[in-house]
Amino acid sequence: MNTYQYFIDYFKNAPTIIQVVWVMIVLFMVIIIILIIYLKLLRIKLRKNEKIVAQYQNEYESNLIAYLYSGNEEEEISEEQQMIVDKLKSSVPDKFKRRVVVSTLLRLRNEISGEMAESIQKLYFQTGLINYALSSLKSKKWYVVAKGIRELAQFHVKEVNDQIVIHVNNPNKEIRKEVQLYLVTLFHFEGLKFLDVLQTHLSEWDQIQLLEVLQRFDEQEIPNINPWLKSKNDSVVIFAIKLAKIYNQFEAKDTLLELLEHPQKKIRVEAIQVLSHLQVYEAKELLKNKFDKLSLEEQIAFFKLLENVFESSDESFLQEHIQHKNFEIKVSALKIFKLLNIEKFHSFKRLLIAPKDAEIIEFIENN
Amino acid sequence: MNTSTVQIIILIIHFLFFIYASTAIASYIILAIISSKETIEYMKKNSFVNYKEILSSTISPSITIIAPAYNESLNIIENVRSLLSSHYVNYDVVIVNDGSKDDSLEKMIVAYDLVKVDFLINQQIPTKPIRAGVFKSTNPAFEKLTVVDKVNGGKADALNMGLNISKSDYVACIDVDCLLLENSLQKMIKPFLEVTDKTVIATGGVIRIANSCIIKDGKLLDVNFPKKLIEKAQILEYIRAFLLGRMAWSRLNGLLVISGAFGLFNKKVAIEVGGYDTNTVGEDMELIVRMRRYMEETKQKYKVAYIPDPLCWTEAPDNYKIFISQRNRWTRGTIETLRMHRKVAFNPKYRSLGLLSYPYWLLYERLAPVIEVIGIIYFIILAALNEVRWDYALAFIILAYLFAVLFSIVAIFSEELTYHQYKKKGTGFKLIMISLLEPFVLHPFILYAAIRGNIDYYFNKKKKWGEMTRKGMATS
Repeated sequence: MNTYQYFIDYFKNAPTIIQVVWVMIVLFMVIIIILIIYLKLLRIKLRKNEKIVAQYQNEYESNLIAYLYSGNEEEEISEEQQMIVDKLKSSVPDKFKRRVVVSTLLRLRNEISGEMAESIQKLYFQTGLINYALSSLKSKKWYVVAKGIRELAQFHVKEVNDQIVIHVNNPNKEIRKEVQLYLVTLFHFEGLKFLDVLQTHLSEWDQIQLLEVLQRFDEQEIPNINPWLKSKNDSVVIFAIKLAKIYNQFEAKDTLLELLEHPQKKIRVEAIQVLSHLQVYEAKELLKNKFDKLSLEEQIAFFKLLENVFESSDESFLQEHIQHKNFEIKVSALKIFKLLNIEKFHSFKRLLIAPKDAEIIEFIENN
Repeated sequence: MNTSTVQIIILIIHFLFFIYASTAIASYIILAIISSKETIEYMKKNSFVNYKEILSSTISPSITIIAPAYNESLNIIENVRSLLSSHYVNYDVVIVNDGSKDDSLEKMIVAYDLVKVDFLINQQIPTKPIRAGVFKSTNPAFEKLTVVDKVNGGKADALNMGLNISKSDYVACIDVDCLLLENSLQKMIKPFLEVTDKTVIATGGVIRIANSCIIKDGKLLDVNFPKKLIEKAQILEYIRAFLLGRMAWSRLNGLLVISGAFGLFNKKVAIEVGGYDTNTVGEDMELIVRMRRYMEETKQKYKVAYIPDPLCWTEAPDNYKIFISQRNRWTRGTIETLRMHRKVAFNPKYRSLGLLSYPYWLLYERLAPVIEVIGIIYFIILAALNEVRWDYALAFIILAYLFAVLFSIVAIFSEELTYHQYKKKGTGFKLIMISLLEPFVLHPFILYAAIRGNIDYYFNKKKKWGEMTRKGMATS
């Protein structure tokens, strides 16, 4: 009791700053003890959750397999199937269980095809999961909306297109990204119509994802990309240029040539690259005539184009640039010269006396 | 000086120490809060991104992994195999054998069917010359691999050779003994492709400690918590630094360092600034500061991004001698970089770089150990003069200790709620125990190494890298 009283008196008589320090010491100790206990509980919960998820996954997986194999031709849905639907339906209101059901359905859907995949999709409607995805579209939290759209795309729910397309210009970029993927996954090239109204930037990450999805579908009719090449949204133009390259859109040649005058350097460079890929000879003459006015990136891209479309009439132009200070341009010019006029190429050995130049010539000569 | 003047001076010194300690603690708390917010946001954004499916694409931008190797014969074959196992499609690996005296090159030639090839190098950054040549594999399975054998010039010089050789838009500079997870490149490239209103010049990733982990064929099979105190303490230190510090600096766009063990760079910008500086032992930090400075001076909008996922696992020192040598080098690297770029300090022209990041690093990273040691010496002098109020001193020491422990526990919480890498039963208790012990088993050595680093920097200019003896990661 005396010790206790001593500490109380000591505390009361100490300066304010020391009192504050002791209060903080006690506070920190309490917080540390609480956190240690909570950490223990958290780790137990995390381990337990992992086990429960695995358990539910197994259970739902066997339910789903039973559902797929218990159908008959006479009824739209057999009694056994209805029982499974009811069972899953009872799990769906629980957020945790719903997440497991959805992930199990998705995993299974990705592993099977044809009628069985359609059955899984039907089950998505029958269990009422669709309603949860649809209600998530109205959420104020961006990640709930984005996840909802993603789920609807994964289960190929085309019917809600109107509710999703309104988010095309949503201020949140994750939502926009999911909308774009939804449209392209479900409607393929038709889905690209969102580019007509897109007001925000389409990042390179988004573009790669969209192109990756589009490449999964064969024998699709490629829409007219000219309007997108003329878009006021620069990122749409760049995306259209990529489409032109991947799908060899020679029909868009004239619009691509117009892009050589675009105010954005990045677009001009990309246009040169795609014209090079399509081997458009007209581009060569246009660019050759204004070569000195081009930026270095455009000049490098032009020489790559020239490697594809050179003619003997280009010899004098090339000769002017074999001493170019840029390494890539010099290498390109010498490579073309080797193919165009081997004798003259050999004569450069005397002209280009710097050791680095000799190295380039030797490399081109041997490769 | 009369007695009252001495007392005033002493009071001012006390006040300065108090202000320094209080602002340091406040900055840790603020950074931790920002980090937590940023990590939550990151987790939400990435919770539904399927990296495997998406960026296995051939349309994705090209990345070159540059890995310098010096006398790595013991593990080189395994290490290269690990680097070749990424799920990213459009990438290649350049191993720069930096004048190794062992049989690293011969081992790689045999294991990967390498042959010497003609290779035209655009020498945009000066480096030591090629020694045995450039090698490519005749086996299509290893077509992504290029091995360059050059005269020894140090890590920075080897990385510069890689920058010259790379034909990609982006370069991942990594330590050859690091274990990269299969989806590391997908995650690291994302910020470069996602940010549209500014240029991302570099992305840093979290480094995790692989000591005691089980690794097979270049893949991480099992995460274990090591037995040695020094290794455990470093795990806690890394978790704290990466989860509660760097994420906040990323949010503030104030990251000054990307670990040399794993970073992804915009090659164009890295070359424009002249590549790695071969005259510093802190080449990783120096490059980032120089890149940032260049972007500020050329008035270009930029960002240094950071990915909190545990993407890269590396071997940490398992004894105090190597640990001290490593931290000594880090200290010298920091001093060199800050001195080289002192023009930036408190210069409003460099905006947050000059007014926030640089001053923070100067005050709370560069000067912290010096101030701490001065404080300890001052305390000893006062104690010798019988001028210490022991009850007050004890209260402050306990408070400082409890704050350190609390901060570590918060870091453990962040780890559990995000990546939960140490799942095994009993590890939680071990983490708590180490957070209680770390101020005694690690901090004094960090302090000692930092002071030695300062002494070596000013009085032993010849000292360079120091040795890092590799034991190799455990394999199953």
